[in-house]
Amino acid sequence: MAVLWSKLSAVLPPNEEEFPLQFSDKVESSVVSVLQQSRRQLYSDATSTDRTLTAQIILDLSWEKLNTGTWRDVDKEWRRVYSYGCLFKVAALCREHPSADEILQGIRTCDMGLLMGAAIMDNVLQVLVQILQEEVRKSTKEEEKRLKTERPRVPVIKDEQAVPRIKCPSLESFKSDYLLPLRPVILEATADHWPAFNEHPWSVEYLRSVAGCRTVPVEVGSRYTDEEWSQTLLTVNEFIDQYVLNRVSASSLTVGYLAQHQLFDQIPELKEDIRIPDYCCLGDGDEDDITVNQNFLVQVVGSKYIRLYSPEDTDKLYPHQSSLLHNTSQVEVENPDTERFPEFARAPYLECVLQPGDVLFIPVQHWHYIRSLELSFSVSFWWS
Amino acid sequence: MRWFGFGFNAFGQICVHNELSKDEGRDTVSDVKIMNPTELHRNVDKSVCGRNKCLKTSQIRASWSRRVWLHVDGDSCVCLAGFGGTSVVDSSGCTDTVLSETHLTLAFSDRIESWDLQKKEKTPAWSMEIQPPTDTSGPPLSLPLVPGGYIATKPPFYRSLSPHLKAKSLALGAEHAILLSATGAVYTWGLGSHGQLGHGGLTSEEEPRAVEALWGMPMKHVVTGGWHCACISDGADLYIWGWNESGQLGLPSQSLRKGHKEESSQQAAADCQSASINPGGKPLEGEKDKEVFISIQAFPALLDISPSCEIRTVSCGSRHTAAVTATGDLYTWGWGEYGQLGHKNLISTDEPQCVDFFKEQKLYVVDVVCGPWNTFTAVGEEEVKLS
Repeated sequence: MAVLWSKLSAVLPPNEEEFPLQFSDKVESSVVSVLQQSRRQLYSDATSTDRTLTAQIILDLSWEKLNTGTWRDVDKEWRRVYSYGCLFKVAALCREHPSADEILQGIRTCDMGLLMGAAIMDNVLQVLVQILQEEVRKSTKEEEKRLKTERPRVPVIKDEQAVPRIKCPSLESFKSDYLLPLRPVILEATADHWPAFNEHPWSVEYLRSVAGCRTVPVEVGSRYTDEEWSQTLLTVNEFIDQYVLNRVSASSLTVGYLAQHQLFDQIPELKEDIRIPDYCCLGDGDEDDITVNQNFLVQVVGSKYIRLYSPEDTDKLYPHQSSLLHNTSQVEVENPDTERFPEFARAPYLECVLQPGDVLFIPVQHWHYIRSLELSFSVSFWWS
Repeated sequence: MRWFGFGFNAFGQICVHNELSKDEGRDTVSDVKIMNPTELHRNVDKSVCGRNKCLKTSQIRASWSRRVWLHVDGDSCVCLAGFGGTSVVDSSGCTDTVLSETHLTLAFSDRIESWDLQKKEKTPAWSMEIQPPTDTSGPPLSLPLVPGGYIATKPPFYRSLSPHLKAKSLALGAEHAILLSATGAVYTWGLGSHGQLGHGGLTSEEEPRAVEALWGMPMKHVVTGGWHCACISDGADLYIWGWNESGQLGLPSQSLRKGHKEESSQQAAADCQSASINPGGKPLEGEKDKEVFISIQAFPALLDISPSCEIRTVSCGSRHTAAVTATGDLYTWGWGEYGQLGHKNLISTDEPQCVDFFKEQKLYVVDVVCGPWNTFTAVGEEEVKLS
């Protein structure tokens, strides 16, 4: 395992002098002194206990800063400090003959830094996690897989309300017929060339082999407006075991959803399996605010029932009043309370069952209701 | 009055490390995490601060990396310890202090001064004059309250407060504040994302808003932690609200139980919804019921520290809480990974536990002050009354 450390340290600066630790005034000098202590310990023969202790102080403090105020307002400097904490912790874990479990902890630590921190030292955590993942892959065996087989109710799509389907339209006709008038449409045969359908067909087994030990955020609960809805961090393996294969009994009562997450930045191997739809080039650039973006939803595995409502009919959709949920309707779409929400029945909509290979164009600000009909993987592209 | 400290000590703010290991940059766990209550030595350098015994009251305040000790005894003396070493601040006549990670604020009878701890300057970063109180009937305002407003932890330092609030005491968290008025009413404002304002939701408040759930129950003491608040009623009951991720509210915390499970279990998948063993030994209700966990308590909850007893004072750290009972016992709960609970271990708990050390040493606890990750306790004679 000393080989592992030589691979890891090759990615780090060769000595203390060349290891950058620059922060703005926002980071108090007492905190900087602890970071400097960690840096010193990295290049000295400190004990693993001491190194872990110092790294943990950095993590505990920056974690508190990351949880202070709204996420949007958290100063990027504290996210950088958190990433440094992760870096020093990984170095401490994987220095001296790490066990398999310590390597997995190291991967989890890198993932925490990638999820909550900000890139440091040319995104060193991304580089380190690839090295550690390689180490784990060498020792993984094949397992037998068992998938959910029951098929829940599949809605019948009425023609008058169906989202139109069209095969590979030209850029110009997509723009004039659908993009400019903001009309939903399903583009068929548009994603057929993706490696995710060809050389690396996506499946539960594939996802495990590529990203099994990586930590990702998972939403637990059928609806995010439910009281019991929550978010948690799981490795992809745990997510598959608990929520996909239903191996853990209690979890079969709840639904888990790996969502709203920049998975492809965190796991670049998966990014190689997809392609950005050509039609995205029709946008004019600014992607900062997700709510003013167009969306392509590409179905890769399984199927989803989707209903779309126009922003013009917002008044019939009874959005929540609070600022947190003002873009969420109070209505249970497939079982509406007609007494509380009488206008809802009069709101026009388009619906579809999205199948593998389908690319659904969801125009900006369109309300969408989505129910997976079976195990489902989709990829979402936000553009404008 | 003797003071004991336990918890985070990476900067020697409780007790200075063995000098040898400090030079080599070695921080052993026992230096950084003080698990056993340790008596504070008041005079590090006898020649500078020649106090051997503090007969009257003394006051301690703690920030993340420092501790300040104010001896109020004739000529008062302010001793600073922690990051940057120990020093005595020029402060005769100082009556009150507030310590943040960046500033030390001192109150005198005629002025308030804030010193920037990161720069070694000869003058305070900020100061204001105050009129000495014309009538001596009421107690002086305690920091961070000043006439007409309060001193914040970052610029602009002086913030005004409406006189109709009749502010009597004020506590500041990182992003929220709690104010006790002379009528016993409680007001909160700031960020509310973790329920720390006690208004029943997660929305923030720009202006002080009365905590209606406590209306009609006069309070006598209010404190804040990182994301929680606590207060003591005139009837000596303890109310608490905010975030409970480490059990700092003394209510069942799922993330805490899950964390303990992961450490002790051998298997990968944790079944966290089952009716599991309750370490407190209290019987669970119903058969195979899901245990009710609380991660955010958005309305004040009455906390019964068993055996039921009157609460004399309370203080909160970042993620832990400490309370002193009328019978001289100290109870702590919440985040304990740096030894800040004083139970001789590094375990966090969501159930208030008595700190046995003081009972064993037959010491009568009279006060407690928490830093973000540590706890300072004053012991004294039973007759001493807190002012």
